[in-house]
Amino acid sequence: MRKLLLSVSDGRGFDIGLVSVPLAFLFAMAGLPLIYNIVMSFQEVDMFSLGTFARPFVGFKNYITLFSLPETWPILRNTAVFVIASIAGQFTIGFALALFFWTGFPGSSWLRGLFLVSWVMPGLVVGAIWNWILSGDFGVLNYILREVGLVSGNIFWRSDPDFSLWAVVIANIWLGISFNMILLSVGLSAISRDLYEAAELDGANVVQRFFTITLPMMRSTIGAIIALGLIFTLQQFDLFAAITAGGPNNSSNVAQYWAWDMSFRQYDFAQGATISVIMIVFVMIASVVYVRSTRHEVRG
Amino acid sequence: MSFALRDKVMLLVAVLLAAIYLFPLYWMYVTAIKTGSAMFASPPSFWPSDPQWGIYGFVWESRNVGRYLWNSLVIASGAVSLIVVLGTGCAYVLARYRNVWVDIGLFLILMLQVLPASLMITPIFVGFSQLGLLDYPRVAVVLAIAAKSMPFFVVLVRATFMSVPMELEEAALVDGNSRFGAFFHIVLPLARNGILVSAILIFMQAFGEFVYSKSMIQAIEYQPASVGLNSFMGPNTNEWNNIMAYAAMYVTPILAIFVLLQRRIVSGLTSGALK
Repeated sequence: MRKLLLSVSDGRGFDIGLVSVPLAFLFAMAGLPLIYNIVMSFQEVDMFSLGTFARPFVGFKNYITLFSLPETWPILRNTAVFVIASIAGQFTIGFALALFFWTGFPGSSWLRGLFLVSWVMPGLVVGAIWNWILSGDFGVLNYILREVGLVSGNIFWRSDPDFSLWAVVIANIWLGISFNMILLSVGLSAISRDLYEAAELDGANVVQRFFTITLPMMRSTIGAIIALGLIFTLQQFDLFAAITAGGPNNSSNVAQYWAWDMSFRQYDFAQGATISVIMIVFVMIASVVYVRSTRHEVRG
Repeated sequence: MSFALRDKVMLLVAVLLAAIYLFPLYWMYVTAIKTGSAMFASPPSFWPSDPQWGIYGFVWESRNVGRYLWNSLVIASGAVSLIVVLGTGCAYVLARYRNVWVDIGLFLILMLQVLPASLMITPIFVGFSQLGLLDYPRVAVVLAIAAKSMPFFVVLVRATFMSVPMELEEAALVDGNSRFGAFFHIVLPLARNGILVSAILIFMQAFGEFVYSKSMIQAIEYQPASVGLNSFMGPNTNEWNNIMAYAAMYVTPILAIFVLLQRRIVSGLTSGALK
């Protein structure tokens, strides 16, 4: 007993104690739910069997039912469009801003930090603000677009099925620009200035320097950021809840919102779990890419 | 001379870009003090001519904003305390050793970090209801948030511990400190700032958390401000000035912390996310 106490205060037991409690907690709160999720996706779950573990197993029935639903493929397509458009927008604008601030001028790092404000705001608040900006009749975005001459009539961003998904994409791009820009800035500042001086002496112009130095040197950073963008975009839930709630008629629904909607709006927990399992597989693939590219970063 | 001019032009463009980017935030604050008719005016006025400061007091009273914010504060503080107590030691051990087990542990932690809350809520909700945890909804949400955010905290704080020289701890051990004593008297004080910044980041995330609270807290008197804002925004609402006033009261404390600690938060974020 004394030996054990001594080990905990002054030996290996100290490290093991420090690391095992959090890992046990994480296993209980994240690992077990993950397993339970997979189990539930093979079970029949209704309001009556919710309280018991002894539910009938139904094999792949939930998966078969899921893919025979008429809305499944449109929602998966929406998810793909949402992810690709959001990442393309965030990354392009973020990279442009990072390059602009990288040129360096008085106040540049302070002003750059200001952009990160969107990262700390609650998602629901961001959603509420964009909901109001994108409002059809009185929205300020429609007013600006009309004044500039881009559109002639009001766009009903939230209620027009052709635009509802794009309403959330716009808000999500705004939200994601900041972390793309900050992380790309970190990557840019790690490139040695000597390389550019040498290239300049050799007569390379700005465009050539960008494609022969900046892009190749940033390769692993860009990989990590796109994987991280994929992870964050697949986590985006608050904006859907605050702007369109998946509507109208599922035109702006995506898988991560649909999974919640199945469980907590339609009380079909088995279908909710099934969608979750499919999406978690995608997220896992993205995170393996992310972890691999950050590994590369540390070694190189 | 031309350099000074270039700096000025760049600064001007940068301020302009920041203004465009932060326009939604400005629009929230402006809408929150407009009258009902000014809000729907066409063309919209970008500068409030007749500021209605009374809207804040009205919304605070009528929507019970104080109670919502208090619940957010309780949930966020609970989650952050749990994360700091459990996560700091974990991060320390993961920073101190470099072997296969640490690599595996880090990999698992990074994998847990990416699981979307809206996908994990289904099994968590069913499991918690079977355990009877949903009778204590705020505790249930604290546990769920802690599990969700701890990996991020561990990754950030691990980077801090990596920057504490191991020789200092070894010297303390040679001088007769126990591991316990060296950890609490030498290593922790040196890593204090990094832990504090990470805790603030986690706090701001937990303060705005929505999915878990929305799903697990049915009783309105325990709901945090994010859920309150969601129920305020009906499908056909036209009280946008009141909603924006609510949003402003919700987000201003967070913005104040951010502006005060901007430099530290930015450097803390960037050190953890890519390393």
